[in-house]
Amino acid sequence: MTTAKTKTRLNIGHEPKAFEKKNVWNVEEITALLDEENGTLDPRIYSDQDLYELEQERVFGRSWIMLGHEAHVPKAGDFLTAYMGEDPVILVRQKDRSLKVFLNQCPHRGMRICRTDGGNAKSFTCSYHGWAYDIGGNLVNVPYESEAFCEDFNKAEWGPGQARVETYKGLIFANWDKNAPNLREYLGDATFYMDHMLDRTEAGTEVISGMQKWVIPCNWKFAAEQFCSDMYHAGTVSHLSGIEAGLPEGMELSDAKIPTVGYQFRAKWGGHGTGFYVGEPGMLVAIMGPKIAKYWTEGEAAARAERRLGSAERARQLMVQHMTVFPTCSFLPGINTVRTWQPRGPNETEIWAFTVVDADAPDEIKEEYRRQTLRTFSAGGVFEQDDGENWVEIQAVLRGHQARKRRLNIQMGKGRSAADNPHYPGSIGYVYNEEAARGLYHQWIRMMTEPDWDTLGPK
Amino acid sequence: MRVELFDEPIALFNLDGEILATQDRCTHGDWSLADGFLENGVIECTLHWGKFCVRTGKVKAPPACAALTVYPVKVEGNDVYVDFESGKVND
Repeated sequence: MTTAKTKTRLNIGHEPKAFEKKNVWNVEEITALLDEENGTLDPRIYSDQDLYELEQERVFGRSWIMLGHEAHVPKAGDFLTAYMGEDPVILVRQKDRSLKVFLNQCPHRGMRICRTDGGNAKSFTCSYHGWAYDIGGNLVNVPYESEAFCEDFNKAEWGPGQARVETYKGLIFANWDKNAPNLREYLGDATFYMDHMLDRTEAGTEVISGMQKWVIPCNWKFAAEQFCSDMYHAGTVSHLSGIEAGLPEGMELSDAKIPTVGYQFRAKWGGHGTGFYVGEPGMLVAIMGPKIAKYWTEGEAAARAERRLGSAERARQLMVQHMTVFPTCSFLPGINTVRTWQPRGPNETEIWAFTVVDADAPDEIKEEYRRQTLRTFSAGGVFEQDDGENWVEIQAVLRGHQARKRRLNIQMGKGRSAADNPHYPGSIGYVYNEEAARGLYHQWIRMMTEPDWDTLGPK
Repeated sequence: MRVELFDEPIALFNLDGEILATQDRCTHGDWSLADGFLENGVIECTLHWGKFCVRTGKVKAPPACAALTVYPVKVEGNDVYVDFESGKVND
Protein backbone atom coordinates (compact mmCIF):
# COMPACT_ATOMS: atom_id res chain seq x y z
CA MET A 1 0.00 0.00 0.00
CA THR A 2 1.31 3.37 -0.88
CA THR A 3 0.37 6.71 0.49
CA ALA A 4 0.31 9.57 -1.94
CA LYS A 5 2.79 12.16 -0.84
CA THR A 6 0.75 15.25 -0.17
CA LYS A 7 2.60 18.47 -0.70
CA THR A 8 1.72 21.03 1.89
CA ARG A 9 1.94 24.63 0.83
CA LEU A 10 5.09 26.25 2.08
CA ASN A 11 4.35 29.07 4.46
CA ILE A 12 6.81 31.84 3.59
CA GLY A 13 5.56 35.03 5.18
CA HIS A 14 2.00 35.97 4.41
CA GLU A 15 -0.29 38.68 3.17
CA PRO A 16 -2.06 39.94 6.28
CA LYS A 17 -5.80 40.49 5.90
CA ALA A 18 -5.96 43.06 8.67
CA PHE A 19 -3.45 44.79 10.91
CA GLU A 20 -0.96 42.31 12.35
CA LYS A 21 0.31 44.18 15.33
CA LYS A 22 -1.73 43.57 18.45
CA ASN A 23 -3.34 46.87 19.20
CA VAL A 24 -3.19 48.06 22.79
CA TRP A 25 -4.51 51.40 21.53
CA ASN A 26 -7.99 51.20 20.02
CA VAL A 27 -9.15 53.31 17.08
CA GLU A 28 -10.99 55.83 19.25
CA GLU A 29 -7.96 56.33 21.48
CA ILE A 30 -5.61 56.88 18.55
CA THR A 31 -8.07 59.21 16.82
CA ALA A 32 -8.34 61.27 20.01
CA LEU A 33 -4.57 61.95 20.02
CA LEU A 34 -5.19 64.90 17.67
CA ASP A 35 -8.11 67.26 18.14
CA GLU A 36 -7.96 69.28 14.93
CA GLU A 37 -11.03 71.30 15.75
CA ASN A 38 -9.70 72.63 19.01
CA GLY A 39 -6.03 72.45 18.05
CA THR A 40 -4.61 70.12 20.70
CA LEU A 41 -2.22 67.18 20.46
CA ASP A 42 -1.47 64.39 22.91
CA PRO A 43 2.31 64.33 23.53
CA ARG A 44 2.31 60.55 23.94
CA ILE A 45 2.55 60.33 20.13
CA TYR A 46 6.25 61.15 20.67
CA SER A 47 6.99 58.86 23.58
CA ASP A 48 4.76 55.80 23.65
CA GLN A 49 6.45 52.50 22.81
CA ASP A 50 3.22 50.80 21.72
CA LEU A 51 2.32 53.61 19.32
CA TYR A 52 5.88 53.44 18.01
CA GLU A 53 5.53 49.76 17.20
CA LEU A 54 2.18 50.30 15.47
CA GLU A 55 3.85 53.03 13.40
CA GLN A 56 6.37 50.55 11.99
CA GLU A 57 3.62 48.46 10.46
CA ARG A 58 1.01 51.05 9.63
CA VAL A 59 3.00 54.15 8.64
CA PHE A 60 6.40 52.85 7.52
CA GLY A 61 4.99 49.63 6.08
CA ARG A 62 2.59 51.50 3.80
CA SER A 63 4.00 54.96 2.94
CA TRP A 64 6.42 55.95 0.19
CA ILE A 65 9.78 56.31 1.94
CA MET A 66 12.58 58.34 0.36
CA LEU A 67 15.85 56.38 0.20
CA GLY A 68 18.24 58.51 -1.83
CA HIS A 69 18.90 60.21 -5.15
CA GLU A 70 19.36 58.56 -8.54
CA ALA A 71 22.81 60.11 -8.67
CA HIS A 72 23.78 58.00 -5.63
CA VAL A 73 23.52 54.88 -7.84
CA PRO A 74 24.35 55.86 -11.44
CA LYS A 75 25.81 52.57 -12.75
CA ALA A 76 24.60 48.96 -12.86
CA GLY A 77 25.45 47.29 -9.57
CA ASP A 78 25.71 50.59 -7.67
CA PHE A 79 23.92 50.20 -4.35
CA LEU A 80 23.06 51.93 -1.10
CA THR A 81 21.91 50.28 2.07
CA ALA A 82 19.07 52.25 3.61
CA TYR A 83 16.05 51.91 5.89
CA MET A 84 12.29 51.94 5.59
CA GLY A 85 11.33 52.59 9.18
CA GLU A 86 13.47 50.13 11.13
CA ASP A 87 13.61 47.66 8.24
CA PRO A 88 17.01 47.63 6.53
CA VAL A 89 16.89 47.52 2.73
CA ILE A 90 19.29 47.40 -0.19
CA LEU A 91 18.70 49.78 -3.11
CA VAL A 92 20.44 48.59 -6.29
CA ARG A 93 20.70 49.90 -9.86
CA GLN A 94 20.01 47.03 -12.30
CA LYS A 95 21.62 46.37 -15.67
CA ASP A 96 18.46 47.61 -17.46
CA ARG A 97 18.75 50.94 -15.50
CA SER A 98 15.75 50.10 -13.30
CA LEU A 99 16.03 50.17 -9.51
CA LYS A 100 15.29 47.40 -7.04
CA VAL A 101 14.76 47.64 -3.31
CA PHE A 102 14.70 44.50 -1.20
CA LEU A 103 14.89 43.66 2.48
CA ASN A 104 18.47 43.48 3.72
CA GLN A 105 17.81 40.20 5.48
CA CYS A 106 18.83 36.70 4.44
CA PRO A 107 15.67 34.55 4.65
CA HIS A 108 17.79 31.62 5.88
CA ARG A 109 18.65 32.62 9.45
CA GLY A 110 17.81 36.34 9.32
CA MET A 111 21.28 37.86 8.98
CA ARG A 112 21.91 41.13 7.13
CA ILE A 113 22.78 40.33 3.51
CA CYS A 114 24.90 43.43 2.92
CA ARG A 115 26.88 45.07 5.70
CA THR A 116 28.33 48.17 4.05
CA ASP A 117 26.86 51.64 3.42
CA GLY A 118 27.13 51.46 -0.37
CA GLY A 119 29.35 50.74 -3.35
CA ASN A 120 29.21 48.62 -6.50
CA ALA A 121 28.36 44.93 -6.34
CA LYS A 122 28.12 41.99 -8.73
CA SER A 123 26.34 39.96 -6.08
CA PHE A 124 25.53 39.99 -2.36
CA THR A 125 26.60 37.15 -0.09
CA CYS A 126 25.38 36.62 3.45
CA SER A 127 28.42 36.53 5.72
CA TYR A 128 26.87 33.87 7.99
CA HIS A 129 26.45 30.77 5.76
CA GLY A 130 27.16 32.14 2.30
CA TRP A 131 23.71 32.24 0.73
CA ALA A 132 24.33 34.46 -2.28
CA TYR A 133 22.01 36.81 -4.18
CA ASP A 134 22.31 38.56 -7.53
CA ILE A 135 21.87 42.34 -7.69
CA GLY A 136 18.12 41.88 -8.24
CA GLY A 137 17.82 40.08 -4.89
CA ASN A 138 17.33 36.60 -6.39
CA LEU A 139 18.88 33.76 -4.42
CA VAL A 140 21.46 32.28 -6.81
CA ASN A 141 23.65 30.06 -4.65
CA VAL A 142 23.25 28.00 -1.50
CA PRO A 143 26.41 26.24 -0.28
CA TYR A 144 25.98 22.42 -0.16
CA GLU A 145 22.53 22.80 -1.68
CA SER A 146 22.38 19.34 -3.30
CA GLU A 147 24.17 17.56 -0.46
CA ALA A 148 22.38 19.12 2.50
CA PHE A 149 18.97 20.50 1.56
CA CYS A 150 15.72 18.68 1.05
CA GLU A 151 14.50 17.74 -2.40
CA ASP A 152 11.73 20.30 -2.56
CA PHE A 153 14.03 23.18 -1.64
CA ASN A 154 13.44 25.85 -4.27
CA LYS A 155 15.80 28.81 -4.40
CA ALA A 156 13.20 30.91 -6.22
CA GLU A 157 11.07 30.90 -3.07
CA TRP A 158 13.84 32.14 -0.79
CA GLY A 159 14.77 35.61 -1.95
CA PRO A 160 14.22 38.59 0.35
CA GLY A 161 10.95 40.57 0.09
CA GLN A 162 10.89 43.18 -2.68
CA ALA A 163 9.49 46.69 -2.28
CA ARG A 164 7.98 48.86 -5.01
CA VAL A 165 10.36 51.56 -6.29
CA GLU A 166 9.45 54.81 -8.04
CA THR A 167 11.25 58.11 -8.53
CA TYR A 168 10.27 61.74 -8.63
CA LYS A 169 12.75 64.05 -10.40
CA GLY A 170 15.80 62.28 -9.02
CA LEU A 171 14.51 61.29 -5.57
CA ILE A 172 14.02 57.55 -5.08
CA PHE A 173 11.09 56.32 -3.00
CA ALA A 174 10.07 52.78 -2.03
CA ASN A 175 6.89 51.28 -0.61
CA TRP A 176 6.14 47.79 0.74
CA ASP A 177 2.40 48.02 0.11
CA LYS A 178 1.23 46.78 -3.27
CA ASN A 179 -2.12 48.50 -2.78
CA ALA A 180 -0.69 51.96 -2.09
CA PRO A 181 -1.29 54.59 -4.79
CA ASN A 182 1.60 55.20 -7.19
CA LEU A 183 4.17 57.79 -6.14
CA ARG A 184 2.81 60.66 -8.30
CA GLU A 185 -0.66 60.16 -6.91
CA TYR A 186 0.74 59.93 -3.38
CA LEU A 187 2.70 63.19 -3.78
CA GLY A 188 -0.34 64.92 -5.30
CA ASP A 189 -0.22 68.73 -5.14
CA ALA A 190 3.09 68.61 -3.20
CA THR A 191 5.05 68.16 -6.47
CA PHE A 192 4.33 71.80 -7.33
CA TYR A 193 6.44 72.81 -4.32
CA MET A 194 9.07 70.07 -4.68
CA ASP A 195 9.84 71.43 -8.14
CA HIS A 196 11.19 74.65 -6.62
CA MET A 197 14.30 72.63 -5.77
CA LEU A 198 14.16 69.64 -8.13
CA ASP A 199 13.15 71.18 -11.45
CA ARG A 200 14.99 74.46 -11.94
CA THR A 201 16.85 73.22 -15.01
CA GLU A 202 16.34 70.56 -17.67
CA ALA A 203 19.60 69.02 -16.40
CA GLY A 204 17.85 68.13 -13.12
CA THR A 205 19.76 67.76 -9.88
CA GLU A 206 22.74 65.75 -8.75
CA VAL A 207 24.09 65.05 -5.29
CA ILE A 208 27.21 66.32 -3.65
CA SER A 209 28.80 62.99 -2.89
CA GLY A 210 28.42 61.44 0.50
CA MET A 211 25.58 60.91 2.95
CA GLN A 212 25.90 62.32 6.46
CA LYS A 213 24.41 60.17 9.19
CA TRP A 214 24.00 61.03 12.85
CA VAL A 215 21.81 60.13 15.80
CA ILE A 216 19.83 62.43 18.07
CA PRO A 217 17.74 61.37 21.05
CA CYS A 218 14.26 62.49 20.00
CA ASN A 219 11.20 61.19 18.19
CA TRP A 220 11.27 61.47 14.38
CA LYS A 221 8.00 63.41 14.30
CA PHE A 222 9.52 66.54 15.85
CA ALA A 223 11.83 66.84 12.88
CA ALA A 224 9.25 65.83 10.25
CA GLU A 225 6.72 68.28 11.70
CA GLN A 226 9.14 71.18 11.86
CA PHE A 227 10.21 70.82 8.22
CA CYS A 228 6.57 70.40 7.24
CA SER A 229 5.08 73.30 9.09
CA ASP A 230 7.30 75.38 11.34
CA MET A 231 8.58 78.71 10.02
CA TYR A 232 7.60 80.21 13.38
CA HIS A 233 10.82 79.04 15.08
CA ALA A 234 12.91 80.64 12.31
CA GLY A 235 11.06 83.93 12.51
CA THR A 236 11.21 84.14 16.29
CA VAL A 237 14.19 82.97 18.34
CA SER A 238 15.62 79.53 17.46
CA HIS A 239 18.17 80.55 14.84
CA LEU A 240 18.97 84.16 15.74
CA SER A 241 22.37 83.46 17.27
CA GLY A 242 23.31 81.23 14.35
CA ILE A 243 22.40 83.93 11.89
CA GLU A 244 24.28 86.57 13.86
CA ALA A 245 27.40 84.42 14.22
CA GLY A 246 27.52 83.52 10.54
CA LEU A 247 26.72 86.86 8.93
CA PRO A 248 28.76 87.31 5.75
CA GLU A 249 31.41 90.03 5.87
CA GLY A 250 30.00 93.52 5.61
CA MET A 251 26.46 92.40 6.36
CA GLU A 252 24.64 93.87 9.34
CA LEU A 253 22.02 91.97 11.29
CA SER A 254 19.51 94.60 10.14
CA ASP A 255 20.23 93.51 6.53
CA ALA A 256 19.06 89.99 7.33
CA LYS A 257 15.52 91.22 7.53
CA ILE A 258 12.94 88.58 8.35
CA PRO A 259 10.24 88.86 5.69
CA THR A 260 6.69 89.46 6.82
CA VAL A 261 5.05 88.03 3.70
CA GLY A 262 4.86 84.29 3.19
CA TYR A 263 2.60 81.28 2.82
CA GLN A 264 2.11 77.83 4.19
CA PHE A 265 0.73 74.90 2.21
CA ARG A 266 -1.14 71.89 3.54
CA ALA A 267 -1.59 69.12 0.97
CA LYS A 268 -5.16 68.37 -0.02
CA TRP A 269 -4.35 64.76 0.83
CA GLY A 270 -1.38 62.94 2.27
CA GLY A 271 0.10 64.93 5.13
CA HIS A 272 2.68 66.82 3.06
CA GLY A 273 3.42 70.44 3.89
CA THR A 274 5.63 73.37 3.07
CA GLY A 275 6.06 77.04 3.87
CA PHE A 276 8.14 79.93 2.60
CA TYR A 277 8.69 83.64 2.78
CA VAL A 278 8.22 85.80 -0.31
CA GLY A 279 10.73 88.53 -1.19
CA GLU A 280 13.53 89.93 1.02
CA PRO A 281 16.54 87.76 0.08
CA GLY A 282 18.41 88.90 3.24
CA MET A 283 17.59 85.70 5.13
CA LEU A 284 18.97 83.53 2.32
CA VAL A 285 22.13 85.68 2.19
CA ALA A 286 22.53 85.34 5.97
CA ILE A 287 22.11 81.54 5.88
CA MET A 288 23.85 80.55 2.62
CA GLY A 289 26.04 83.56 1.82
CA PRO A 290 25.93 86.03 -1.07
CA LYS A 291 27.17 83.66 -3.81
CA ILE A 292 24.30 81.21 -3.43
CA ALA A 293 21.72 83.92 -2.82
CA LYS A 294 22.81 85.54 -6.08
CA TYR A 295 22.75 82.22 -7.97
CA TRP A 296 19.23 81.51 -6.66
CA THR A 297 17.74 84.94 -7.33
CA GLU A 298 19.69 86.51 -10.23
CA GLY A 299 21.48 85.53 -13.43
CA GLU A 300 21.00 82.83 -16.05
CA ALA A 301 20.21 79.93 -13.69
CA ALA A 302 17.47 81.93 -11.98
CA ALA A 303 16.07 83.04 -15.35
CA ARG A 304 15.97 79.42 -16.52
CA ALA A 305 14.22 78.38 -13.29
CA GLU A 306 11.70 81.16 -13.87
CA ARG A 307 10.97 79.84 -17.37
CA ARG A 308 10.60 76.25 -16.17
CA LEU A 309 8.44 77.07 -13.17
CA GLY A 310 6.51 79.71 -15.09
CA SER A 311 6.78 82.21 -12.26
CA ALA A 312 9.40 84.75 -11.19
CA GLU A 313 8.05 84.60 -7.65
CA ARG A 314 8.38 80.82 -7.38
CA ALA A 315 11.83 80.76 -8.99
CA ARG A 316 13.51 83.76 -7.36
CA GLN A 317 11.52 85.16 -4.48
CA LEU A 318 10.53 82.20 -2.29
CA MET A 319 12.94 82.32 0.61
CA VAL A 320 13.95 79.70 3.15
CA GLN A 321 11.37 77.16 2.00
CA HIS A 322 10.91 74.19 4.33
CA MET A 323 9.12 71.00 3.28
CA THR A 324 8.19 67.48 4.35
CA VAL A 325 6.77 64.75 2.15
CA PHE A 326 4.94 62.46 4.58
CA PRO A 327 6.30 60.81 6.57
CA THR A 328 10.06 61.34 6.65
CA CYS A 329 11.38 62.99 3.48
CA SER A 330 12.34 66.59 4.27
CA PHE A 331 14.29 69.29 2.46
CA LEU A 332 14.92 73.04 2.21
CA PRO A 333 14.75 74.42 -1.36
CA GLY A 334 17.42 77.09 -1.80
CA ILE A 335 19.52 75.65 1.00
CA ASN A 336 19.18 72.29 -0.76
CA THR A 337 19.74 69.96 2.17
CA VAL A 338 17.66 66.77 1.79
CA ARG A 339 17.19 64.28 4.60
CA THR A 340 15.21 61.39 6.00
CA TRP A 341 14.34 60.99 9.67
CA GLN A 342 14.90 57.33 10.45
CA PRO A 343 13.03 56.11 13.52
CA ARG A 344 15.10 54.19 16.08
CA GLY A 345 12.63 53.71 18.89
CA PRO A 346 10.28 56.41 20.20
CA ASN A 347 13.19 58.30 21.73
CA GLU A 348 15.77 58.25 18.97
CA THR A 349 16.18 59.34 15.35
CA GLU A 350 18.95 58.70 12.88
CA ILE A 351 19.26 61.57 10.41
CA TRP A 352 20.56 60.78 6.92
CA ALA A 353 21.30 63.96 4.98
CA PHE A 354 22.71 64.88 1.60
CA THR A 355 22.87 68.00 -0.54
CA VAL A 356 21.47 68.39 -4.05
CA VAL A 357 22.58 70.94 -6.64
CA ASP A 358 21.46 71.80 -10.17
CA ALA A 359 23.40 69.30 -12.28
CA ASP A 360 24.51 72.10 -14.62
CA ALA A 361 25.50 74.59 -11.91
CA PRO A 362 29.08 75.94 -12.17
CA ASP A 363 31.64 74.03 -10.07
CA GLU A 364 32.12 77.11 -7.92
CA ILE A 365 28.41 77.07 -6.97
CA LYS A 366 28.48 73.33 -6.27
CA GLU A 367 31.48 73.82 -3.99
CA GLU A 368 29.74 76.73 -2.26
CA TYR A 369 26.66 74.54 -1.66
CA ARG A 370 28.92 71.88 -0.16
CA ARG A 371 30.59 74.36 2.19
CA GLN A 372 27.44 76.20 3.21
CA THR A 373 25.25 73.15 3.84
CA LEU A 374 28.06 71.71 5.97
CA ARG A 375 28.19 74.96 7.93
CA THR A 376 24.42 75.32 8.35
CA PHE A 377 22.54 72.00 8.06
CA SER A 378 24.69 68.94 8.76
CA ALA A 379 25.81 66.89 11.78
CA GLY A 380 27.88 69.92 12.84
CA GLY A 381 25.75 72.61 11.20
CA VAL A 382 24.93 75.69 13.26
CA PHE A 383 21.20 75.69 12.45
CA GLU A 384 20.98 71.92 12.83
CA GLN A 385 22.21 72.37 16.43
CA ASP A 386 19.49 74.92 17.14
CA ASP A 387 16.79 72.58 15.85
CA GLY A 388 18.16 69.45 17.47
CA GLU A 389 18.56 71.18 20.81
CA ASN A 390 14.84 71.94 20.93
CA TRP A 391 13.69 68.47 19.80
CA VAL A 392 16.02 66.67 22.18
CA GLU A 393 15.00 68.81 25.16
CA ILE A 394 11.30 68.25 24.48
CA GLN A 395 11.94 64.49 24.36
CA ALA A 396 13.76 64.69 27.71
CA VAL A 397 10.87 66.66 29.23
CA LEU A 398 8.43 64.01 28.00
CA ARG A 399 10.01 61.48 30.36
CA GLY A 400 7.85 63.16 33.00
CA HIS A 401 4.36 61.91 33.71
CA GLN A 402 2.88 65.39 34.17
CA ALA A 403 4.54 66.46 30.92
CA ARG A 404 2.88 63.63 29.01
CA LYS A 405 -0.52 64.21 30.62
CA ARG A 406 -1.10 67.74 29.36
CA ARG A 407 -2.13 68.15 25.71
CA LEU A 408 0.02 70.47 23.60
CA ASN A 409 -1.14 73.56 21.72
CA ILE A 410 -1.31 73.16 17.95
CA GLN A 411 -3.78 75.99 17.22
CA MET A 412 -1.78 78.44 15.13
CA GLY A 413 -3.64 79.53 11.99
CA LYS A 414 -6.66 77.39 12.83
CA GLY A 415 -9.53 78.03 10.40
CA ARG A 416 -7.59 80.58 8.37
CA SER A 417 -6.26 78.49 5.47
CA ALA A 418 -8.23 78.15 2.24
CA ALA A 419 -7.92 76.31 -1.05
CA ASP A 420 -8.66 79.31 -3.24
CA ASN A 421 -5.24 80.87 -3.84
CA PRO A 422 -4.94 81.60 -7.59
CA HIS A 423 -1.16 80.99 -7.59
CA TYR A 424 -0.61 78.17 -5.12
CA PRO A 425 -2.42 74.81 -5.03
CA GLY A 426 -3.57 73.12 -1.84
CA SER A 427 -4.80 74.69 1.35
CA ILE A 428 -2.90 77.98 1.74
CA GLY A 429 -2.50 80.13 4.83
CA TYR A 430 -0.09 82.60 6.39
CA VAL A 431 3.55 81.51 6.73
CA TYR A 432 3.39 81.32 10.56
CA ASN A 433 1.00 78.45 10.88
CA GLU A 434 0.38 74.96 12.18
CA GLU A 435 -2.14 73.96 9.53
CA ALA A 436 0.46 71.79 7.76
CA ALA A 437 1.40 70.17 11.08
CA ARG A 438 -2.27 69.38 11.68
CA GLY A 439 -2.28 67.90 8.17
CA LEU A 440 0.75 65.72 8.95
CA TYR A 441 -0.77 64.38 12.17
CA HIS A 442 -4.16 63.95 10.49
CA GLN A 443 -2.51 61.68 7.91
CA TRP A 444 -0.54 59.89 10.64
CA ILE A 445 -3.75 59.14 12.52
CA ARG A 446 -5.51 57.94 9.37
CA MET A 447 -2.63 55.58 8.60
CA MET A 448 -2.58 54.35 12.18
CA THR A 449 -6.29 53.53 12.19
CA GLU A 450 -7.54 52.73 8.66
CA PRO A 451 -6.79 49.14 7.65
CA ASP A 452 -6.55 49.54 3.87
CA TRP A 453 -6.03 51.86 0.93
CA ASP A 454 -9.69 51.54 -0.11
CA THR A 455 -10.46 54.31 2.35
CA LEU A 456 -6.95 55.77 2.80
CA GLY A 457 -6.24 56.66 -0.82
CA PRO A 458 -6.54 60.18 -2.26
CA LYS A 459 -10.02 60.91 -3.55
CA MET B 1 35.82 39.43 -19.77
CA ARG B 2 33.37 36.59 -20.21
CA VAL B 3 33.22 34.93 -23.64
CA GLU B 4 30.32 32.62 -24.48
CA LEU B 5 31.05 30.76 -27.71
CA PHE B 6 30.83 27.15 -26.59
CA ASP B 7 29.07 25.13 -23.90
CA GLU B 8 31.60 26.20 -21.34
CA PRO B 9 32.05 29.99 -21.18
CA ILE B 10 35.62 31.17 -20.74
CA ALA B 11 37.08 34.16 -18.94
CA LEU B 12 39.82 36.24 -20.55
CA PHE B 13 42.22 38.13 -18.30
CA ASN B 14 44.64 40.90 -19.14
CA LEU B 15 47.71 40.84 -16.87
CA ASP B 16 49.64 43.96 -17.84
CA GLY B 17 49.23 43.10 -21.52
CA GLU B 18 49.53 39.32 -21.20
CA ILE B 19 46.25 37.61 -22.14
CA LEU B 20 45.24 34.48 -20.22
CA ALA B 21 42.15 32.25 -20.46
CA THR B 22 40.43 30.04 -17.89
CA GLN B 23 36.99 28.53 -17.53
CA ASP B 24 34.66 31.35 -16.45
CA ARG B 25 32.57 29.26 -14.06
CA CYS B 26 33.87 29.18 -10.50
CA THR B 27 34.48 25.54 -9.52
CA HIS B 28 32.89 26.19 -6.16
CA GLY B 29 29.68 28.11 -6.65
CA ASP B 30 28.75 28.23 -10.36
CA TRP B 31 29.30 31.98 -10.79
CA SER B 32 31.07 34.05 -13.42
CA LEU B 33 34.71 34.73 -12.48
CA ALA B 34 34.73 37.58 -15.01
CA ASP B 35 32.65 39.49 -12.42
CA GLY B 36 35.38 38.96 -9.83
CA PHE B 37 38.31 41.01 -8.59
CA LEU B 38 41.67 40.50 -10.33
CA GLU B 39 44.77 41.33 -8.32
CA ASN B 40 48.36 40.19 -8.87
CA GLY B 41 47.29 37.41 -11.23
CA VAL B 42 44.71 36.05 -8.78
CA ILE B 43 40.97 36.20 -9.47
CA GLU B 44 38.57 36.35 -6.50
CA CYS B 45 35.01 35.14 -7.04
CA THR B 46 32.41 37.66 -5.78
CA LEU B 47 30.11 34.94 -4.52
CA HIS B 48 32.11 33.26 -1.73
CA TRP B 49 35.53 34.83 -2.15
CA GLY B 50 37.30 31.71 -3.42
CA LYS B 51 40.52 32.62 -5.29
CA PHE B 52 42.38 31.11 -8.25
CA CYS B 53 45.66 31.77 -10.01
CA VAL B 54 44.62 32.75 -13.53
CA ARG B 55 47.95 31.47 -14.96
CA THR B 56 47.85 27.94 -13.50
CA GLY B 57 44.16 27.68 -12.49
CA LYS B 58 45.24 26.52 -9.02
CA VAL B 59 43.16 27.32 -5.93
CA LYS B 60 44.51 30.21 -3.88
CA ALA B 61 41.77 30.54 -1.26
CA PRO B 62 38.93 28.38 0.10
CA PRO B 63 36.04 27.62 -0.04
CA ALA B 64 37.10 26.68 -3.60
CA CYS B 65 38.94 23.35 -3.71
CA ALA B 66 39.02 22.30 -7.39
CA ALA B 67 41.37 24.01 -9.86
CA LEU B 68 40.13 25.83 -12.97
CA THR B 69 40.67 24.59 -16.49
CA VAL B 70 43.21 26.84 -18.20
CA TYR B 71 43.49 27.26 -21.96
CA PRO B 72 46.48 28.12 -24.14
CA VAL B 73 46.20 31.58 -25.72
CA LYS B 74 47.85 33.07 -28.78
CA VAL B 75 47.63 36.76 -29.66
CA GLU B 76 48.09 37.89 -33.27
CA GLY B 77 47.68 41.62 -33.72
CA ASN B 78 44.30 42.47 -32.25
CA ASP B 79 43.01 38.90 -32.40
CA VAL B 80 43.03 36.53 -29.45
CA TYR B 81 43.01 32.79 -30.21
CA VAL B 82 42.09 30.31 -27.51
CA ASP B 83 42.88 26.60 -27.98
CA PHE B 84 39.77 24.97 -26.50
CA GLU B 85 40.99 21.46 -27.38
CA SER B 86 44.05 21.78 -25.15
CA GLY B 87 42.41 22.97 -21.95
CA LYS B 88 43.94 21.36 -18.88
CA VAL B 89 43.61 21.20 -15.12
CA ASN B 90 46.78 21.53 -13.05
CA ASP B 91 46.20 19.54 -9.87
